[in-house]
Amino acid sequence: MTTARRAVLTGFGVISPVGSGPAAFWAAVRAGTPGVRTITHLDPSHLPSRMAGEVRDFSAKALIDKGYRRTLNAMARTVEFGVIGCQLAMADAGLGKGAVAPERIGVEFASVMGATELDDLGPASRLSIRPGEAAPDMPAWGRDGLEQVPPLWMLKYLPNMPACHATILYDIQGPSNTQIPGDTAGPVALGEALRILRRGAADVMLVGGSEAKVHPLSLSRFNLFAQFSRRNDDPEGAIRPFDRDRDGTAPGEGVAAFTLEGLDHALARKATIYGEVLAVAGGVDRGLTGAGLARVIRNALAAAGVQPGDVDHVNAHGTGTTRGDAFEARGVAEVFGRSVPVFAPLSRFGNLGAASGLMELGCSVLALKHGELPGTLNHAAPDPACPVAVHTGPPRPAARPCAVKLSYTDLGQCSAVVIRKWEG
Amino acid sequence: MRRRVVVTGMGVITPLGHTVADLFASQAEGRTAVGPITRFDARTFPTTFASEVKGFDLARYVRDAGRYEHCGLNTHFALAAGKQAVEDAGLADPGKGDRSRMGVYLGSGEGSDEFPALVRGLAHALPDGAPKVDAAEFTKVMQVWMDGPREGEQEMYTPAGHLAAAFALDGPNQACQTACAASSQALGEALEIIRAGDADVMVAGGSHSMIHPLGVTGFNRLTALSQRNDSPRTASRPFDATRDGFVIGEGAGLVVLEELEHAKRRKATIYAELTGYGTTADAYRMTDPHPQGRGAIRAMADALADANLKPADVGYINAHGTSTQANDSTETAAIKAVFGDLAKKVPISSSKSMLGHLIAAAGVVELVISVVALRKGVVPPTINYANPDPACDLDYVPNQAREVRFRHVLSNSFGFGGQNVALIASRFVD
Repeated sequence: MTTARRAVLTGFGVISPVGSGPAAFWAAVRAGTPGVRTITHLDPSHLPSRMAGEVRDFSAKALIDKGYRRTLNAMARTVEFGVIGCQLAMADAGLGKGAVAPERIGVEFASVMGATELDDLGPASRLSIRPGEAAPDMPAWGRDGLEQVPPLWMLKYLPNMPACHATILYDIQGPSNTQIPGDTAGPVALGEALRILRRGAADVMLVGGSEAKVHPLSLSRFNLFAQFSRRNDDPEGAIRPFDRDRDGTAPGEGVAAFTLEGLDHALARKATIYGEVLAVAGGVDRGLTGAGLARVIRNALAAAGVQPGDVDHVNAHGTGTTRGDAFEARGVAEVFGRSVPVFAPLSRFGNLGAASGLMELGCSVLALKHGELPGTLNHAAPDPACPVAVHTGPPRPAARPCAVKLSYTDLGQCSAVVIRKWEG
Repeated sequence: MRRRVVVTGMGVITPLGHTVADLFASQAEGRTAVGPITRFDARTFPTTFASEVKGFDLARYVRDAGRYEHCGLNTHFALAAGKQAVEDAGLADPGKGDRSRMGVYLGSGEGSDEFPALVRGLAHALPDGAPKVDAAEFTKVMQVWMDGPREGEQEMYTPAGHLAAAFALDGPNQACQTACAASSQALGEALEIIRAGDADVMVAGGSHSMIHPLGVTGFNRLTALSQRNDSPRTASRPFDATRDGFVIGEGAGLVVLEELEHAKRRKATIYAELTGYGTTADAYRMTDPHPQGRGAIRAMADALADANLKPADVGYINAHGTSTQANDSTETAAIKAVFGDLAKKVPISSSKSMLGHLIAAAGVVELVISVVALRKGVVPPTINYANPDPACDLDYVPNQAREVRFRHVLSNSFGFGGQNVALIASRFVD
């Protein structure tokens, strides 16, 4: 066994389509509350896929640190989610500003470039398209349009802004990095935070991910290239992980953030511990064969010193896409066969992109903590192309101490996280 | 003993050369690549010039260039620099070595919105007199006017994913975006991945282009760019009293970082050892650096401690040196705080005086320049330096390259958002 510094999760901040805060989130996940519904943030009638996991009661203004409220005008929704998620995680961990020496706390955030608010560029665009023309008149844009763009426009959307605001709000002067590899960004952030703690460069790392895909520009784009479900008459049943009748995924929005803390530091301050992060491994499965994902899972288990028999469940990304689920199932089956049940929480809240990995991980952290594994929503008809045993139905007791969380992108970037229940 | 990490391959696509040799020759000669923007008609923009990559052809680097036709320049530049780096390191053959122990860490810029379609859609959905863009109407026309295959290749993970696939790099695959510090942070954390034993080889660096209408618009609105439109070639003037902003550039750099024993076993050419990495946050403001440079100071100090070096061991500082008022004076103050009396003696220069600012790709390209400077004993100059600024009173190697023998080089990168990174490369001594 390794003598590496141990790291534990001590705070959890979450805003999701099925509930916000660890208690409400767990209650909804446990109950199987569906969060994918017909889109209401905008009229979706012109989109081929009209469903999403929306957060409908979110007000950054109500939640943000009062001294920081004026900065909201420089935050897109994805940044707002990120900043509020960080606040919730820090509060849940009992860590106020200054509670940790500034140079001993850092941040790793999973993010994307936010999509521009339409109204930020609308007036400039109107001044730059001549009647009957398709292409913009560039001199008109430079002369008349450009000055219609809000001065802080670019800053509202930069991927590193959630981390930036978090460092300012909590006087975080340790390492600050922003991970962007798509749906693996959250686990990648967690893995880097773990390395930072283990090399002694910090005692506490704020680790989060946020994304707000339910946005007219994002939806326009994803509908053109992503496999989104067309089951518009049944939004709650639209995402069907590893199911024979799956026809695509749906987007979601929100944030999940944790504090990851050196065990020594957490014990010294008598922090409440959610669970232990044993290992994070990453790698690429070129061509999505499953062999690369299996290798990444094995590397993670080896680094964690965990046998397949210690694993209560595999928390799959389970996006409900035809190719993605088959690929992921092949990778899981190569390592575990059908011996370890698969739990895919994404069908509850949609694919949250940069927030997906940590949001989904949160489900397993809470499942091990509460000793109950909820069922996968919308898995009814097994698919021979997905040779895994998917756990469905009511919660069953969590029988074993560890869980493995998987994430991947369609280019085959994969990550695997191994966590263990905290026994105290 | 900690695993040591060396540089065994380098590749670049820059406005000053598409090979490491051409880039360094241009730097040593004090040439600039800054000129009028040709990528789009920018004549009426507040800033009309940039530092563009010219004459680039992806087909020279990858056999199946057509496969990447929908990708952005961020991916194209990354593939071309990556190809050079893995070839230079002798790792281009995908059957060579354990590819699952070779990963990618890219400080990569975003893809870009398809500007004409976006503007057309917004204008259409905002008829005269309407108070707000009609989102539903916008989504309707964008389903027709936007190019789906193109959009599918503009995701944040796209360049790092294609790099892995093109060069059979099946190990850890990461991408970060910490603005102008991104590729330096990628190098530093890739170093840590190898030190931690999670990989033996990391192809690390960055790739970015923001020379598109929205990129220039965004920076112009923040008043971050030089507006010296009557003299583009002298616009990037780091540490000069009359500096008025940075010059936007583009490009990519990738470096093969390799665990020392792994490199020795396969008799790789070792260009330098990456010995020090420091990374901090300012925790101050969104764009302005902390006025005393507290994050920059600790990043440099941490990198020195990581490399087990003292300030006197550093023979050259490749500065972040953006040519903005705030950066150059703050960086100067931070160097003084770390180096004390030695600050006035150590040569400092800014590659950006010639290259412009490659944003996410800046740090790695400057590290490549630093490594070549270390090997050749030649420090490139800071060009366009004419008017001393009392707040910038160090030796910036003005206008002429200098022969200096040295063993350790410190390279700084600081980004919007307050991320600070310092790297130290050292002459390799077994």
